Amino acid sequence: MRILIVEDEPTLNAQLASSLCAAGYVVDSADNGVDAHFMGDSEAFDAVVLDLGLPRMDGLTVLRKWRAAGRAMPVLILTARDGWHEKVTGIDAGADDYLTKPFHMEELLARLRALIRRAGGHASAEIVCGPLLLDTRNGRVLVAGQVLALTGHEYRVLAYLIHHAGELVSRSELIEHIYAQDFDRDSNTVEVFIARLRKKLPVGLIETVRGLGYRLLERP
Amino acid sequence: MKIARATALRGSLRLRLLAGTLLWVAASLVVAGLALDKLFRDHVAEQFHAALQTHLDQLTAGFVVDEQGRPALATPLSDPRLSRPYGGLYWQIDRLAGDGSAAATGVLRSRSLWDSVLAVPSDSLADGEMHRHRVAGPEGSTLGLSERSVRFDGAAAASATRWRLIVAADERLIAEPVARFSGALWRALALLGVGLALAVLVQVVVGLAPLRRLRVALGRVRDGRSERLQGNFPVELMPLVEDFNGVLAHNGEVLRRARTQAGNLAHALKTPLSVLANAAHGRQDEESRMITEQVEVARRQVDYHLARAQAAAVTHGAGARTLLAPVIAGLLRTMRRIHAERPLELQVGVMPEALAFRGEVQDLQEMLGNLLDNACKWATQRVELAAQRDGEMLRITIDDDGSGVAAAQRDAVLGRGVRADEQTPGSGLGLAIVDELARLYGGHVDLAASPLHGLRVTLSLPAAV
Repeated sequence: MRILIVEDEPTLNAQLASSLCAAGYVVDSADNGVDAHFMGDSEAFDAVVLDLGLPRMDGLTVLRKWRAAGRAMPVLILTARDGWHEKVTGIDAGADDYLTKPFHMEELLARLRALIRRAGGHASAEIVCGPLLLDTRNGRVLVAGQVLALTGHEYRVLAYLIHHAGELVSRSELIEHIYAQDFDRDSNTVEVFIARLRKKLPVGLIETVRGLGYRLLERP
Repeated sequence: MKIARATALRGSLRLRLLAGTLLWVAASLVVAGLALDKLFRDHVAEQFHAALQTHLDQLTAGFVVDEQGRPALATPLSDPRLSRPYGGLYWQIDRLAGDGSAAATGVLRSRSLWDSVLAVPSDSLADGEMHRHRVAGPEGSTLGLSERSVRFDGAAAASATRWRLIVAADERLIAEPVARFSGALWRALALLGVGLALAVLVQVVVGLAPLRRLRVALGRVRDGRSERLQGNFPVELMPLVEDFNGVLAHNGEVLRRARTQAGNLAHALKTPLSVLANAAHGRQDEESRMITEQVEVARRQVDYHLARAQAAAVTHGAGARTLLAPVIAGLLRTMRRIHAERPLELQVGVMPEALAFRGEVQDLQEMLGNLLDNACKWATQRVELAAQRDGEMLRITIDDDGSGVAAAQRDAVLGRGVRADEQTPGSGLGLAIVDELARLYGGHVDLAASPLHGLRVTLSLPAAV
């Protein structure tokens, strides 16, 4: 899962990035509105944490531009402005949730998890796909009740597939959602991760659609 | 009572204008009446004496003395009043004392004198000279008279004698027309006075009408139906209207700036607080615990004083009017997003579209936002909102099906009965700040048990027309 953090205060930006990384997300950062708009417009993110008071272009304008261009990723506004007037304006500009500073990191993580889950159409914190169960609250995958031991990258690939179970997920889409922008994307590591996951999962769950990508099936 | 009346006179332009003009009109009418009366009286007196003069001339022309020196009237005077006893007009001829003749009054008299004789004070008259006198006449009347002395040339005996010719008339002949005229004059003037007073009244009412319109326009601003004074006013009032609109605009600008600055300050403080809190989070040493604790205190203080700063700006927001329905719709959209994790039913019950609040949109959002957010936090699954007009007030009720608040704790929840400096910022801040905002607008917050078994919050606010 790939998250864009837009926050102009460098220390807070770094704190957010490290907390989100520790929670298993891939993180990209922007510290001004113009860069944030470009990144959100040209890359695929699973969620955005957006500050409102930004240099060069304010957060509400960035959000409105994304929505006008059809960018539908969940956006959580993280701001010090806690008036209901501002909350209503933010939600009406297209935000999916609103968190005011100062905040507890746990709450931010919980809300992000919920946003990503709901964006995939899942109402519960636990997503079930056949024998697999993804617990988004603690970042674990269980197979028939047994916790699966996964590396960070393996978890991201599998979590993305579970969120989009039954759908065709292309290789480039997987790359976009498991690597940060500045990562070397020419590597064939996605195939390596898929191969490792196939060894850990019941046979036949991950289907390869030749030339197009992968699909996670409920039953082999 | 006396003070009240004096204040009414000093305080009312209409009364001042009315009193001033009416006083002036009354004084003018009285002076004009007195002058006309005097003029007429003089004129009548003039005519009276002119008539006496004519009669005296006739008497002089008809008066003859024969060879024996006996006086006689060759041509009698024609006025019928002279032949009617006490008819009001009289003549008399006296012989004045001279060489060889004794003085005799009433040698010849008009029939109207009947048996009385006019006693005229003797004065020495040159020949042909005329005098005027006032004397007592018959039956207690007062007479005005003209006299003249004549002497005949020719016969020696006769020529030695001088005669005094007198014509007199009752002064009632003057008094009656003067009284008639005066009566008519004062009645006419009184009528004119009443007419002028009515005209003044109409003028004052019409002239002051723009001031009444100004008051109505001000009322509209106060009631929140208008943001500035609107309407056509006379050129004399336009500078006032424009200045007042300028003040209104300036106040609005100051209010907006104060809010922006309070928001900016909060923003500037909260981001560093977030950094501090995150840095200290998850570490178990004493310093980190202290930082976490102090950051929490600082956060509450910022929230509390920001809310108070916004509340303090309330009373200057005159002229604002906010429709209820769009604000509630916006807040419900927001609540559904923010509380999306909980299976809540947010429902709006009775809610007339035209309901409006007399105040700033941001204050209404702040009050309803806090109340709805609280309800959503405590509700099990239902939150219901309804609003209606109750006279001058709006009554907005928010019900939830949560655990409610015990009657004994309701005042504490609203932060009442606690001195301001003892209040713990942050604890129940939502409801307390809503209560404070509502009170600044002249409204209030009431807590009760809800039919949904949770808490019912009733927010009463002034309605805008």
